[in-house]
Amino acid sequence: MTISSEPSRPRPLLVAGLGNPDRGDDGFGPAVIARLARLALPEVDLLAFCRPLDLLDHWEGRGLVLVLDAALPRGKPGRLHRIDPLGDWALLPPAASASTHGLGLAEAIELGRTLGRLPGQIIVYAAEGSSFAPGAPLSPSVAAAVDEAVERIAEECRRAG
Amino acid sequence: MPTKKLSLEALARVEGEGSLELFLHDGKVETARLRIFEPPRFFEAFLRGRAAAEVPDIVARICGICPVAYQMSAVHALEHGLGVVVDGPLRLLRRLLYCGEWIESHVLHIVLLHAPDFLGYPDAIAISRDHRAEVERGLALKRAGNEIVRLLGGREIHPINVRVGGFYRLPSPAELSALRARLERAREEAVALLRWVATFPMPEYQRDYEFIALRHPSEYPMNEGQIASSRGLSLAPEEFDTAFEERHLPHSTALYCSLRERGSYLVGPLARYNLNFDRLPPSIQAHAREAGLGAACHNPFQSILVRSVEVLFACEEALRLLSLYEPPEAPALPLPRVAGEGHAATEAPRGLLYHRYRFDAEGTIEQARIVPPTSQNQASIEEDLRLLAESLLALPEESLRARCEQAIRNYDPCISCSTHFLRLRIHGR
Repeated sequence: MTISSEPSRPRPLLVAGLGNPDRGDDGFGPAVIARLARLALPEVDLLAFCRPLDLLDHWEGRGLVLVLDAALPRGKPGRLHRIDPLGDWALLPPAASASTHGLGLAEAIELGRTLGRLPGQIIVYAAEGSSFAPGAPLSPSVAAAVDEAVERIAEECRRAG
Repeated sequence: MPTKKLSLEALARVEGEGSLELFLHDGKVETARLRIFEPPRFFEAFLRGRAAAEVPDIVARICGICPVAYQMSAVHALEHGLGVVVDGPLRLLRRLLYCGEWIESHVLHIVLLHAPDFLGYPDAIAISRDHRAEVERGLALKRAGNEIVRLLGGREIHPINVRVGGFYRLPSPAELSALRARLERAREEAVALLRWVATFPMPEYQRDYEFIALRHPSEYPMNEGQIASSRGLSLAPEEFDTAFEERHLPHSTALYCSLRERGSYLVGPLARYNLNFDRLPPSIQAHAREAGLGAACHNPFQSILVRSVEVLFACEEALRLLSLYEPPEAPALPLPRVAGEGHAATEAPRGLLYHRYRFDAEGTIEQARIVPPTSQNQASIEEDLRLLAESLLALPEESLRARCEQAIRNYDPCISCSTHFLRLRIHGR
């Protein structure tokens, strides 16, 4: 898992990958972050972690936060969904999160909203997973989604920059 | 006998996934079965053949909430096998790191997961609407714990700075001084947290548990001590197998741990507190008494109060450790190249965490054994649920379920090692 050291002053753009690399497709987010780190995108902070609630400590004051997460299967493993949770909230009910942890992404966003601690904009890229078994690698379809996500996130970063 | 099945998917506030089944006969609850889906021993198998030096980083990924505990039990067990004793400032820094994990783990559980049960809210978001100041304060306090873990662990989640023999990098004086200022504030926040929790309505329930926790000659236990019980047991960690046994029961993938010929027991904050109240500094004892606790506590619902006392203790202890710290000559001790077998038990936020490793002279792991707190508590949780459900059977199902969930959360069962939902089935109602 790759985590850039966060500078003392956070940059306006954060890309955060959620998930546990030891739980199969749950490792989607960290896998994308590891690949993005090699691209050395300018003016972007990269973070990978598995506790969605930690977003609250990292996204306040940012202009745009791109979040990568695995989603429960919905018919097509590896399909990538681009969601604006502050705009079309209904697309991301709590049960859609495949996090292995108690407070998921939806709860973190909702808690941030309640406490008035949200960034300007959030975009979630969620990949439909198929296996979340301990010790399993990414499934082939989600591994392919990593490639797609890296391209799309890099493009979003260039546009935002 | 009519069987009523009720499916509940409501235990999202426990780390992991579980289901609870209650079996009723003639108005009595005969059995309560809590299923916990724990990846069965995946990590133990995964560690075989790996280098001992890799173990601290690998086990840190077992749990997103208590990685430090896994690292601490691992390095102590490996050092025990190598015949190396880490003492002085390096030992002090490890205890400081553990304080950070107790703070962040306990505060998350108290404020966002357990407090809603006591105050009648469905979840963390709902409680935040009405108790925003308390939740904000809790998040700030949790961040102070995160800061300790980030500084000494190298990062907040899945720390990477702990190694067999010590650390990779030592903190600078400037970093420690900034931490000190932050912890002074945290101590005040912890006092306020304890006073808030002390106002919660507390269910009446008592049980005569056998408590198991470490006991150290002078410290409230974290990294070191004899394994002690409230009924007279006192063992070195390497004697773990002489007193405890693990069994697999068909209804759960978690292993049940019990005391040979004695049965269930309890680990965690309540056990630590009951066995070690006399090891708390007088100032912390006074705060505990002000919050309504005595030297003994047998009501598992009061574990939320005991956790709050431990948060305050961890803040105060961290400050004390910082005031004593003198930088060591090197960040880690040199290690011999020998084969060995080592054991250790440390106090994870949720309770006793036992590790054992056997390794060859090249430092390759031949055998690993990890006994987490949740599997040790499982039998006690089920017994609590059986007794509690029996006294509450007259309640509407919704209220019964809520109280059962609250009781399960008394133990803060951690299972990154597991998954999301509780499904409750009542048979024979």
